[in-house]
Amino acid sequence: MRLLVLLWSLGPLLWQLRTSLLRPEALVAPLLEGNPWTLANYQLVLSGDPPFWRYLGNSTLVALATTLLTLLLAVPCAYGLQQQRGLLRWGVGLGLVGAAMFPTVLLFLALLEIARRFGLANDLLALSLPYAGLSLPLAVLLLRAAFADLPVELEDAARLEGLDLGQRLRHVLLPLLGPALASTGILVFLASWNEYAIALTWISRNDLLTLPIAIARIGGGSVFTIPYGAFAAATVLGSLPLLLLVLVAQRPIVSGLTRGAVKG
Amino acid sequence: MAARPPLSSLRRWRSLPKLLTNALLALLSAMCLLVLLPASGLSSSGLPSAGQSGIPAAAAEPVTIRVLMPAPLADAVAAPVAQFNASGAGIALEVIRGPLDTETISDLATGSLLLGEAPFDLLLVDVSWLARYVAAGWFEPLERWFGPEVLAAMEPGARLGNGLDGHLWRMPLTGDTGLLYWRTDLMERPPRDTEELVAISRDLQRRGRVRWGYLWQGRQYEGLSCVMVEVLHGFGARWWNGSTARTELDSPEAVAAARWLAALLQDGVSPPAVASYAENDALQSFAAGDAAFLRNWPYAWREIEKGGGLVKGKVGVTAMVGAPGEQGGGTLGTWGLSLIKGSPHPEEAVAAIRWLTGPVVQRQLAIEQGYAPTWSTLYDDPDLQRRAPLLTVQRQALQHPQLRPPTPAYAQLSDLLARQVNGMLTGQGGPGPTMAAAQRQSLQVLRSLAGPAGDTAGESAGGRPAVDR
Amino acid sequence: MKARAASLLLMAPALLLLAAVFVYPLLRYGWLSFQASSVLTGLEPVPNGGANWGRLLDDARFWTDAFQTLRFAVCSVALELAGGLGLALLLHRPLRGRGTLRALTLLPWALPTTVMALGWRWILNDPHGPLNAAIRSLGGSSYGFLSTPATTWFFVVLADVWKTLPFVALLLLAGLQTIPEDLEEALRLEGAGRLQILRRLTLPLLVPYLTLALLFRLAQALGVFDLIQVLSGGGPAGSTESLALYAYLNAMRFLDFGYAATVMLATFLLLLVLLGGGWLLWRRERAA
Repeated sequence: MRLLVLLWSLGPLLWQLRTSLLRPEALVAPLLEGNPWTLANYQLVLSGDPPFWRYLGNSTLVALATTLLTLLLAVPCAYGLQQQRGLLRWGVGLGLVGAAMFPTVLLFLALLEIARRFGLANDLLALSLPYAGLSLPLAVLLLRAAFADLPVELEDAARLEGLDLGQRLRHVLLPLLGPALASTGILVFLASWNEYAIALTWISRNDLLTLPIAIARIGGGSVFTIPYGAFAAATVLGSLPLLLLVLVAQRPIVSGLTRGAVKG
Repeated sequence: MAARPPLSSLRRWRSLPKLLTNALLALLSAMCLLVLLPASGLSSSGLPSAGQSGIPAAAAEPVTIRVLMPAPLADAVAAPVAQFNASGAGIALEVIRGPLDTETISDLATGSLLLGEAPFDLLLVDVSWLARYVAAGWFEPLERWFGPEVLAAMEPGARLGNGLDGHLWRMPLTGDTGLLYWRTDLMERPPRDTEELVAISRDLQRRGRVRWGYLWQGRQYEGLSCVMVEVLHGFGARWWNGSTARTELDSPEAVAAARWLAALLQDGVSPPAVASYAENDALQSFAAGDAAFLRNWPYAWREIEKGGGLVKGKVGVTAMVGAPGEQGGGTLGTWGLSLIKGSPHPEEAVAAIRWLTGPVVQRQLAIEQGYAPTWSTLYDDPDLQRRAPLLTVQRQALQHPQLRPPTPAYAQLSDLLARQVNGMLTGQGGPGPTMAAAQRQSLQVLRSLAGPAGDTAGESAGGRPAVDR
Repeated sequence: MKARAASLLLMAPALLLLAAVFVYPLLRYGWLSFQASSVLTGLEPVPNGGANWGRLLDDARFWTDAFQTLRFAVCSVALELAGGLGLALLLHRPLRGRGTLRALTLLPWALPTTVMALGWRWILNDPHGPLNAAIRSLGGSSYGFLSTPATTWFFVVLADVWKTLPFVALLLLAGLQTIPEDLEEALRLEGAGRLQILRRLTLPLLVPYLTLALLFRLAQALGVFDLIQVLSGGGPAGSTESLALYAYLNAMRFLDFGYAATVMLATFLLLLVLLGGGWLLWRRERAA
């Protein structure tokens, strides 16, 4: 059973791994014929113009900036929302749930106009602005649930000791939010790492493309045939950081969702 | 691990994620460091302005001019470009290899241009994009540099589709039209009209000489619209009326044209599979000896002769045929160079246009890829005639080329016509209803595009026919 | 009172960004949908009455795409929920190497959609992909999986299920962890079998999570874009085109921003109707 599940999940990826290690002529040879392995595809991808690590770097930069910005905005917002009562709390909460479910692709046209009006195109850091906006609903919902889990007495005690809001947040509340921050951060990181429609319309310079666009362009922008070997090598290279991240982070992701989901 | 742990395990619950958090933070900061190295280099490359991206040279920094082209054309001009860059003109011409597919490269260019900062100075423009790009205000008119006398030295057909609203927007690089390919081993001479084409096909099929008669592009894409332009014209119909800025797809002649295409499939002259054929599929099948006739662009001949296929050396090429008594004409499918508005170096960019559309490059394209030249002198060159045997036919075809509707709304009109006709080819409706629906939807599109003053706005913005300059 | 004002201030930056990213586009689309903003107007907005909406109502392509999108969403989300439940139950059992197993099964969800969409294109390649190679080695002949509407549709759904099933499983796994083990133990002592426990205890308690996954995935599936653009391009003959792809084509290929905005807004309204119903159901379920 376990084997079956693994085969389903990893089979297509393993096929990419195999493809990436074969010469082009071996790709069209019969399936079971013995073929020598080669690293030529990786060399090709890494020595391209711009080299592949540039795309990895771009994606990482955008995703990190987005994660940071999102958490910076979401933590105070979640805390503030937790303090609210009545209609405002209910309304904002409902709006956030609605926004979290909104298919982001429908926003690209208006966001493209914004990019043009304010000259935000072709700027990786500026790209993290809409990304942070798109990630905020889920992040605020998850963090609000985490705030709700904290005992009220804790903050009251801190207030009695004369700590102001900033101090309370920094020294008392945030340290307890570690796990929730981590899981939220990872989800935001993954979402912005993988985003397609906005990046497709905000970035036109070849050396600034993020990974999903760069890889799609290898396929869609092909000359006669798709260079599957090189593409597979790119896939493998692009997957390694994520494999690492997921291996390290699956536990916080699961626990983060547990807390956010029920309260959301 | 339970999500709501009992109180006793609270301590463990808090410390374990903390460990993970720390590990993660370490990982993230490591990645951050990794990124900073390449990121610091990002700002200094890729901008179109020469000051930042030119190759530093002691004497004179060459101005970098970037041009976006489909990859096959980019590869074909590589040698002349290197020659140009070495000529000491003070220009470093850089060719960006774009995707092959015409629609994909248009998407790429459109995306860049919409953002307001295109990473290229020149764009190789397909004739079917021109009106749309001009209407969007993305090009700089070229008549300052290229007067009427320049285009007068070109074949008549090559002059079409470059001007609009009294301005010149594009310098043509190729003079391609749709052509009819025929098998010299199966017949003595090519057909003169559509009836002969069908008659020859059915005769050959009946005698078992060949499986299919006529192969063309029936997939739902721009290629089918090109076929439609030829068939409509061949039956005396027209897609677009320039003076009313309306489509005329439901005329009796247009329905007759559609009926002819549908009959090709029904009578087995063309295989049902043409409904999914693009240029490559049709060429592949024809090159394998499956059919007597093929509709394709000039490059197909090179492909057939280069490959070792069954029909190599047995293929003739002729101008597109029409119905009996009608003048046939191939769809104009030319490429040309346009100057992007806002290019920081228009003078240098125009010098690059001059070189790229000049006889040296066109000669190379004709010999290597079979693209039709635009300059009349090249057609008279005996040496080139020998090395590019299609020249005579190409010149003849350029006398009666057919333009796709020169309206900015062409992309939509083409999309919906191709959709309707492909539906007809796959058995979803007869010719009459198909063309009526295409006409109704076309008018609706034009109305919604142009505002309440639909017809007049259409006339002023898109109605004018391309100007011969 | 002062504290509430201060907390409002804390929310302000995030709410501002949210307004810019979510509220502004919707307002803008609402306005644009009553304008002609196209190549015929030089990309400038010109009021055109309700011509865009009239065109939408008569646009067979829009309604075909709406139907195709809905069909895609319903099929793939149903499969994801069923498969996700199974996977979640498996991952919930105490197994050796559970953490690694969880991480590895999560991997497809973590990868960019476009990456694996291209991967699938290679796997389905005619004639060199592994699937066709396998068919040939069994004596069959190659099949154009991506040139027939039915098989293309099937593999688009399959690729979506492959990618998002782990996410659904994750959500449900989170739900499973909230079920106290002693309840299960109690049922077992009563002599209930595995299936009975699943039916009487696990599923009822998972309902909020299942509904959440359903709503979340349905919303995302109805906006499917990158998978289809890369895997099939909406073809063959538009048979896999989604509403989002149609809106994208209107904007980026046809430069028809007025109509593109109309299509996007209409898609959003359709979604609202669908999800609004689902949301009300969920509230009722939770209240009960």
